[in-house]
Amino acid sequence: MTKDTILEVQKQFKEALAKAKDHFSLEEVKNTFLGRKGKVAGLFSLMGEISPEARKDVGQMLNKLKIDLQDLLDVKSSEFSSGPGKKEWVDYTLPGYSMPKGSRHPLTQAVDDMLSIFQRLGFDIAYGPEVETDWFNFESLNFPPNHPARDMQDTFYTEGGGILRTHTSPVQTRYMFNHEPPVRIVAPGRVFRNEAISARSYCLFHQIEGLYIDTDITFADLKGTIELFCRMYYGKDVKIKFRTSYFPFTEPSAEVDVSCFLCGGKGCRVCKHTGWLEIMGCGMVDPNVMKAVNYDPEKYTGYAFGLGVERMVMMRLGINDIRILFENDIEFLQQF
Amino acid sequence: MIVSINWLKDYIDIDMPLDELAEKLTVAGLECVLKEVGKSIPEGVVVGKVLERKAHPNADTLSVCKVDVGSEEALNIVCGAPNVDAGQFVPVATVGTQLTPDFKIKNAKLRGEHSEGMICAEDELGLGDDHNGIIVLEGEHKVGTPYDEYFASSKILDIDITANRPDAMSHWGVAREIAAITGKVFKKAPLNLVESGPDINEIAKVEITAPEGCPRYTARVIQGLKIGPSPEWMVDRLEALGLRSINNVVDASNYVLMETGHPLHAFDLDNLKNRTINVRFAQKNEKFETLDHKERKLSKDVLLICDGQSPVALAGIMGGTESEVSDSTTNVLIESAYFTPAVIRKGSKQQQLYTDASKRFERGTDPNETLIYTQNRLASLILELAGGTLAKGMIDIYPSLIKPQTAQLRIDHVKRVTGIEISKEECKTTLEKLEFEIIKDEDNILTVKIPTFRPDVEREIDLIEEVLRVNNLDKIPSMNRMKISVAEEYDKFHPFLTDIRNFFVGYGMHEAVNNSLVNELNANSGIWGYTPLKIMNPLSVEMNMLRTDMIQSLLGSLRSNALKKRNNIRLFELANVIEKSDHTDTHAQEHYNLGVLCSAPVWGLNWTDKDKAADIFYMKGILEHLLSSYDLNYKLKENTDRNEFEILYDIVVKKAVIGKIGQYKMEYFEKLQLQYPVAVMELQIGKLFSWYNSKKQYVPVPQFPSIFRDMSLVMDKEAKSTAIFNEIKQNGGKYLVDLVLYDVYIDNEKLGKDKKALSLRLEFRSDEKTLKDEVIDDVMNKLFERLKNQYGAQLR
Repeated sequence: MTKDTILEVQKQFKEALAKAKDHFSLEEVKNTFLGRKGKVAGLFSLMGEISPEARKDVGQMLNKLKIDLQDLLDVKSSEFSSGPGKKEWVDYTLPGYSMPKGSRHPLTQAVDDMLSIFQRLGFDIAYGPEVETDWFNFESLNFPPNHPARDMQDTFYTEGGGILRTHTSPVQTRYMFNHEPPVRIVAPGRVFRNEAISARSYCLFHQIEGLYIDTDITFADLKGTIELFCRMYYGKDVKIKFRTSYFPFTEPSAEVDVSCFLCGGKGCRVCKHTGWLEIMGCGMVDPNVMKAVNYDPEKYTGYAFGLGVERMVMMRLGINDIRILFENDIEFLQQF
Repeated sequence: MIVSINWLKDYIDIDMPLDELAEKLTVAGLECVLKEVGKSIPEGVVVGKVLERKAHPNADTLSVCKVDVGSEEALNIVCGAPNVDAGQFVPVATVGTQLTPDFKIKNAKLRGEHSEGMICAEDELGLGDDHNGIIVLEGEHKVGTPYDEYFASSKILDIDITANRPDAMSHWGVAREIAAITGKVFKKAPLNLVESGPDINEIAKVEITAPEGCPRYTARVIQGLKIGPSPEWMVDRLEALGLRSINNVVDASNYVLMETGHPLHAFDLDNLKNRTINVRFAQKNEKFETLDHKERKLSKDVLLICDGQSPVALAGIMGGTESEVSDSTTNVLIESAYFTPAVIRKGSKQQQLYTDASKRFERGTDPNETLIYTQNRLASLILELAGGTLAKGMIDIYPSLIKPQTAQLRIDHVKRVTGIEISKEECKTTLEKLEFEIIKDEDNILTVKIPTFRPDVEREIDLIEEVLRVNNLDKIPSMNRMKISVAEEYDKFHPFLTDIRNFFVGYGMHEAVNNSLVNELNANSGIWGYTPLKIMNPLSVEMNMLRTDMIQSLLGSLRSNALKKRNNIRLFELANVIEKSDHTDTHAQEHYNLGVLCSAPVWGLNWTDKDKAADIFYMKGILEHLLSSYDLNYKLKENTDRNEFEILYDIVVKKAVIGKIGQYKMEYFEKLQLQYPVAVMELQIGKLFSWYNSKKQYVPVPQFPSIFRDMSLVMDKEAKSTAIFNEIKQNGGKYLVDLVLYDVYIDNEKLGKDKKALSLRLEFRSDEKTLKDEVIDDVMNKLFERLKNQYGAQLR
């Protein structure tokens, strides 16, 4: 063993150290050189071969080598963020890198929440166009021409004879037109009403339509499904009330009220002190609607329902001006 | 629609608690709220008797009274009213009464005299404006009675009537519902008709020229009546419903309308030329002045009531000024008629005139019993209130009888629709209480005659609704087990959209929802150049077209945010854009698109990195990420059509332009003083979805190590990097698997003028063996030679 042998090991060590990229490879370097069977230990084991007069110098060199290598290892180790070794001081209290935080619009979030409940209940999702024909939007849904019920929905007419759909209900007849029963769908989408824009109404909003047609569907199935949806969406303690109403495309028809989720039915600002919130319309599909799409009402029965997404979102979030949902103010959007 | 509880009691006994009744009516379809209307007097105001009145020793205008309010000792009250005197019964506000929110009665000393309350004038109790003196009650009263009891406020039901129930827009209608709910008997007010006048046919004449608009017209005549004020009970009843009293004849016809729901009209007979009524359609452009003093230009759709010469009323909508009942009227002709709903609706729409009468006629009134009863009821009321003599007989023109319809109710079908058992007996009782007549009852089928006041009921399903809504809706049990029909297909579009939404949220973007209705400029600026579809009846010129792209909407959101000094604007939106098209029956072609807009740094402001703008390169990076995650190959083709863009590309997939990506010129937004450039992207997501194949196949992972080689090329500054990349990709040999640009360096001194250096890292790998350095060295050398020859590139 000569001085050169020692320097060679030192050189090998430095090369190996330079290649080390992490604690793992550093540990390997340490084992190779400073381990019990490492190269430095190997050198020490050769001490016996050294002449007694040179032994002291070589011994000192070897000891120095061992210390130097350990120091180099420590310095390198401190370059990595954690682990043993001497460290550069790092201010770990610095904040994390600022990441831009994106957000889903509360309306599409609500649509997703509701659709996922209906999908769990076995409904498929269907779609229809926003520019509709009078037949699908009205006539097929048992709104005869010149019927006062058409006044319930102020309509936008488009150039060329189309109309902007006033509800998602035309998806019912569109779907039935192209499918044989059983039919079990929900249809989300934009709808339009020609009403002056105010805090309470906007010319466009979102609805989710539901439809189930089969050979033995009753109002009890409708009630059960709606109740289940309400409990899943609002929580299992919610109280649900059905009251008779009127829609041309369902008979019997009902509106659904749920106990106010904020006050639990005691009465508060959100429910206008009634304890109840009106959330959707529903009913048994009118035989005339079935006839319009060539379904036999003597063979099939079914139910349909429709709910307004904006209304539910506004009630839930305590929003009292619908327009903020369409302003896309970053300060609003980033809250969700 | 408002009905008064007291008035309802004329037709039905009500012993159910009123809030329970309101709840039951609501569930049955008459959504109502129970309210109290009328005056209310503050608590603490009681009736007192003035025992003695003395002049105030220190003030000429005041007096000191002893007033008995039923307490042990009479109160000492100082009063300033000139009319106060001993023996009077008066309202007294006792100590502690909160008369108004900021006026509470206290013990006081007025000019040295003790006062323990206040004797009230009208205005002090909010009963009127009179402050000339205190209120003095007539007759004897019990002292100490709360004065509020003299003003027992009336309870009303405020009902939201659905469009299908014209019959319920009256006290009768509501009483009938209550009869069905409670089982009590509905009874009508008795009539008292004494026909002591001449035969009506000698006095008046009616013709119907347009029976298609007016299937029935009846008239009665009363002569010699006297117009005057209505009695107090009628004024009170009308006022409780919010109707102002006018005179006895007008009030009587309003009263009967509120009672039965059938609109009537009273004409001044002396102002009807030839004492004749003729019902006909208007001529085109015919003119007529209605009661609201508007001269109206009519169309042929408008039905008119005319006298011997000219129109006197828009039938079923509004009367005219000339034949109006006035203070000098002595002879009236009462009209009770049935007009065809569609005709009234058309006329009312054409005239943009919607009245209480037109609302009722267009929803459908009863041509039979109610019409006749109402005619007779009004005649009888006018005789009672205004005197006069009733002509003998009634003119009744009814060329073709409108017969009640019949429908069958199969009892087993009740369960088929409702899911619950409702017995035949219950069905019969409910229907009969609602005045449906059971004309046949055999086995399990009821044959039912539908009263003509229920135009909403025609079919079995309508009868089923009747028996369900009355007392049975609540009885449907909650379900604890669900049977469903299973569809094997399921929608994949919505999950696809959810993925895309989450993708952009992951990049720190906010989802926007914009109006689909935009102005002409916006629609015509669409990035696709579509012809916009117009709205024929827009809310305003700002919303008269459908949007043709997403980018313009997002630019709108950018502007509104920038005006509020919001920075870091990252937005995306998913929705339809609409193109005018001749290939669909609605003349609309819908495209489901994604829009993205950024005017922001890539990251937020940070302590570690420079403020790098989310520019076109950021957007290109996002596009690459998005499309590659759906395994879609695309090309960018520069588009120079749009002046406002610094750079704009068409995104081409499968030879079709399915998107646009670009960055606006900064000066395009000069006024907004944006901090960052505006980069945008729009993709036809609907089309992408149709191409997207979710059946992805696994590719074996690499078994052999990669060799990486870096190459730094110096070339002309204006050489397009895409060309270099393509060159390398095409000539990099079969082992080249990836190419990354990791530096672009420009330095006039080190590289020379108009030069740039591109640093590239190439990755080589084989699926069969570990590659040898020499093989790759060879590839690299050849590649460089090629780039040198083709592009004059030098190694750096």
